Amino acid sequence: MSAGALSSPPRPWTRLGRWLGRLGINGRTAVILAPTLWLAIFFLIPLLVVFKIALSAFALGQPPYAPMFRWGADDSLSITLQFSNFLFILQDSLYANAYINSLRIAAISTALALLIAYPMAWFIARSDEKYRNLLLMLVILPFWTSFLLRVYAWMGFLGRNGIINNMLLGLGIIDQPITMLQTEGAVFIGIVYTYLPFMVLPLYTTLVKLDQSLIEASADLGARPFMTFLTVILPLSMPGVIAGSMLVFIPAIGEFVIPSLLGGADTLMIGRVLWDEFFANRDWPVASAVAIVMLVILVVPIMLMSRAQNAVVETEK
Amino acid sequence: MKKPQIAADTRPWRDPDAVPFVRIRNVTKTFGDVYAVDDVSLDIYKGELFCLLGGSGSGKSTLLRMLAGFETITKGTIEIDGQDMAQVPSYQRPVNMMFQSYALFPHMTVEANIAYGLKREGLPKGEIAERVAELLKLVRLESFGRRKPHQLSGGQRQRVALARSLARRPKLLLLDEPLGALDKKLREDTQYELVKIQEQLGVTFIVVTHDQEEAMTLSTRIGVMNDGKIAQIGEPQEIYEFPNSRFVAGFVGSVNIFEGVVTEDEDDHIRIDASAEAGCDIYVSHGVDCAPEQILWYAIRPEKMVLSRERPEGDANIVHGLVQDVAYLGDMSVFRILLDSGKRIHVSQTNVSRYDPEGISWDEKVYISWEADAGAVLTS
Repeated sequence: MSAGALSSPPRPWTRLGRWLGRLGINGRTAVILAPTLWLAIFFLIPLLVVFKIALSAFALGQPPYAPMFRWGADDSLSITLQFSNFLFILQDSLYANAYINSLRIAAISTALALLIAYPMAWFIARSDEKYRNLLLMLVILPFWTSFLLRVYAWMGFLGRNGIINNMLLGLGIIDQPITMLQTEGAVFIGIVYTYLPFMVLPLYTTLVKLDQSLIEASADLGARPFMTFLTVILPLSMPGVIAGSMLVFIPAIGEFVIPSLLGGADTLMIGRVLWDEFFANRDWPVASAVAIVMLVILVVPIMLMSRAQNAVVETEK
Repeated sequence: MKKPQIAADTRPWRDPDAVPFVRIRNVTKTFGDVYAVDDVSLDIYKGELFCLLGGSGSGKSTLLRMLAGFETITKGTIEIDGQDMAQVPSYQRPVNMMFQSYALFPHMTVEANIAYGLKREGLPKGEIAERVAELLKLVRLESFGRRKPHQLSGGQRQRVALARSLARRPKLLLLDEPLGALDKKLREDTQYELVKIQEQLGVTFIVVTHDQEEAMTLSTRIGVMNDGKIAQIGEPQEIYEFPNSRFVAGFVGSVNIFEGVVTEDEDDHIRIDASAEAGCDIYVSHGVDCAPEQILWYAIRPEKMVLSRERPEGDANIVHGLVQDVAYLGDMSVFRILLDSGKRIHVSQTNVSRYDPEGISWDEKVYISWEADAGAVLTS
């Protein structure tokens, strides 16, 4: 009876499953297949294309670069790898300066965002449970308006005839408008303002999970509040600090809109250089090379940070 | 279980001149309009192991948290060692707490956890290391110093928490359900260990627990809490044998309670008509502060009752019923008996012989009787 149940005739989909299984595809891999394909088509292949363009020579025409593979008249395949784009970037100090400046601005912005977001996240995490969602919503609220509009709004605030200058002039605090727009400070304001929610949210999630009794235990063992923060709260919220910093630091490096609209001519960031190469110079190979180098520069901190995060998570298990 | 002798000769709460170490005076704590702790006054003496016993929501943990300084006092005062604690933040109190969840710092090793309080005191490194080693030895975790809390078992974590709370040599140690998370066997072992450590170090312990057996085993005195108030304070035996209310009688151990009316009120005895619930008169061989016609309750423990097939001599303290169920617990058996009055009672009998074919069993009609001084008369 039970043997009969076991050897019931295989249904068609069972056979299909077995056939796919032989190819190494089972239910589990099928689930991963969709995102894998998505990433391959929309991330990996474009990346390879950009890489290919970066290794091509500049050419006038459509497309504006020389082909990498050429089938010669004598039936030979010649592959041209043009490294001059990378050499050019390394030699011209403009690019090095742009990279360094981008990293510096991104780092300072991240630090500022962290300083502002931490108390905010702490306050939300420690407030009454019924208000938390409302407060979180307020943090996310700016996302309901277009990013571009919000940056334009900052121009309205910071401009020479902007709200802040007019107000200070009206109150008689200053008699000359202060130059706030088109300075590096304006870029910091823009980046910190725009990316603050990305810092607040991961910090909030780690802080809200933080066991209140650990803070009490620390106080009980004689630690003043600031000591408790340094020795207990901060180390335990490191996953949030790292995640939030990554979410701010990485997009801030490549930021294009904010430095263009709020920054001055001297605020050189790699995003703008990239834009100029692509659209002003129409030099796609150099632009692609700039993009590839930026990617390499970004991969290093991402790896370091995720390693640090893994180390923190490890101890918390 | 034999109760260990703790400070057997010194029972300062019996000495009217003794100065209490912890003095809780009319302490009230409200959350919104809920009274978590309601006008509690309590004196605890040096070297005591005092248990606050109560169900959940009885206010025992809130009281403990006020002692530690985690909750502000709404009304009243707490003095520790003669010092008013109202303005003293938790990090400056001469008190340490062992948390119910242990609250070990997950990012620190066992050693770092224990050393945490010592570092805050600013002790030199060598001395810290020495004391940490000492404490690890005390809780028998010498080889676990470098582990992280998540690499330890529940019992080991509990011992680390104890060591950490003892590290600063507090004058008063607060323990919140210290054995709650341990299994029964481990709990019994740890109970004795706690008592041993407490005796060894001479620290005053205040233990919060909902487990009456734990309270009985550990403590020099028990404060039973109910609804934010202290229901009774006394030595374990006092609480068990002389409860002052139906709540305490029912909370500590199991009990049978009969309601009745006083018919005779003499200096040397009283007689209670409990015909409605027991179907007999109850004779009590000592005077009770009551009046004739007063309704009161007679509480008697299951082990103080005797079962028999024949009706014993006497005209009082004898009830009759049917054995409905027998629970064999090894050392004793608990009989669930339906009285003729319709009331159910429990009677327990020690299993003296290994096998008794003549023993009283299911569906038998039995008489239950008790001595005239076996139960407690309760007026509330």
